[in-house]
Amino acid sequence: MEFHSKFLYIWNKMKFKVILSHPKDNVATAKSPIKAKTLLRLQKGKKVEVREEIPFGHKISLRRIPKGGFVIKYGERIGRAIRPIKLGELVHIHNVEGERGKRK
Amino acid sequence: MNFLGFKRPDGKVGVRNHVIIFPSVVCASEVCNAIAQNVKGTISIPHPHGCAQLAFDAEQTARTLIGIGKNPNVTAVLVIGLGCEVVDSAMIASKIAESGKSVKNLIIQEVGGSPKTVKEGVKIAREMVSFASRLKREKANIDSLILGVECGGSDACSGLSANPALGVASNMLVREGGTIILSETTESIGAEHILAKRAINRMVRKKILEIVKRTEMRALNLGLDIGRANPAPGNYEGGITTLEEKSLGCVMKGGSGKIMEVLEYAETPTQKGLVLMDTPGHDAESVTGLLAGGAQIVAFTTGRGTPLGSPIAPIIKIASNSYIYSKMKDNMDINAGEIITGNKTVQEIGEKIFRQVIRVASGKLTKSEILGHREFAINRIGPSF
Repeated sequence: MEFHSKFLYIWNKMKFKVILSHPKDNVATAKSPIKAKTLLRLQKGKKVEVREEIPFGHKISLRRIPKGGFVIKYGERIGRAIRPIKLGELVHIHNVEGERGKRK
Repeated sequence: MNFLGFKRPDGKVGVRNHVIIFPSVVCASEVCNAIAQNVKGTISIPHPHGCAQLAFDAEQTARTLIGIGKNPNVTAVLVIGLGCEVVDSAMIASKIAESGKSVKNLIIQEVGGSPKTVKEGVKIAREMVSFASRLKREKANIDSLILGVECGGSDACSGLSANPALGVASNMLVREGGTIILSETTESIGAEHILAKRAINRMVRKKILEIVKRTEMRALNLGLDIGRANPAPGNYEGGITTLEEKSLGCVMKGGSGKIMEVLEYAETPTQKGLVLMDTPGHDAESVTGLLAGGAQIVAFTTGRGTPLGSPIAPIIKIASNSYIYSKMKDNMDINAGEIITGNKTVQEIGEKIFRQVIRVASGKLTKSEILGHREFAINRIGPSF
């Protein structure tokens, strides 16, 4: 599975406060608590300002996600945005819902 | 590569040398406990099953108990029955005896009550312990190892540190000719396409998709969302948002090998390499299924921290973050949190887990064993009648 090699690729560039598990991801995981207004410098000069406090292990959006849009982690869908998610927002159960194991 | 283990009459190799006493039915549980209290070196494994169960549950309970008895970590078994139960203790004992190990069976209604059964049981257990004490570890190839991989109390780091690192260790054991059992079907929901792609053939691929669908439908047919039970509240607090996210992290534990076969709960693998077992996300039930399938060791990742152990096997605890590793150090064996802090790579921790598996196989005790954690739970499908 290509999972691991991609993982390692990201791993070796651990300069940031967040962990990106796959290049396709639109969310990243906080490797320690991040305060609001922290400026995250990503690859290729891209910058994201953190809008609210992100607890350890929680996710932050690196792209705008429209309502109904997929949230991508590990390069795979983990659920849909139930309202528009802005850049730098906390991404969790208040704005994302999974699609599996649920009554329609 | 070799380790030091206990060679069994059926050719399998144990990493522990246990004498166990278990009931075929809940009614015989206290007799088992009383015997074990009187004979040092025995382990009692009480459980609430064995009677008033529908056919599929009675069959699953029997298969699990037989599997636990046949597990190569077990040297001798004393099965206590009541006499009127659905799961027949004599049948359980004779099936375990097929492995060539020492097995005895006592039935409370035949012996004449619990005090007499305890007295008789103590006599038998004493002889079993004496026999076990004379066995010696011998050199064995690690291709005889079956490693169960499990996660429990996951957090958002589990899929970024501990699980991919365990995946590296799984790949290493598979390369050495060993076997990995990946389980927890509930936590494959949303990641089954990744597993299906790696199926060795179309039959296995079909079976993978089938067990995942079956599990998802079982909850939906009851009119309930799985999301209320799994992910658990602690998973959400740890940063896991959806079942799919949990699953995608979960399946990494098995590594990247081809999936050779799909087993029912507590079934024994017929193939080497990476195999899948249909178990629930419930940790104790899943681990019990893995051990009944013949796993001698379980590598268990956790982000929220869990002390879970087993009566018959070492459980190696791998913390996904350094915070929980320091906070629950008494229960944790390896810290994969160093991957999150950037001090170690997934590969490095994976190799560390692999080395630890070999050391534990040769006799090194894990934290769960030292602290006497012996959680045991048999999965059940339907209600009691």
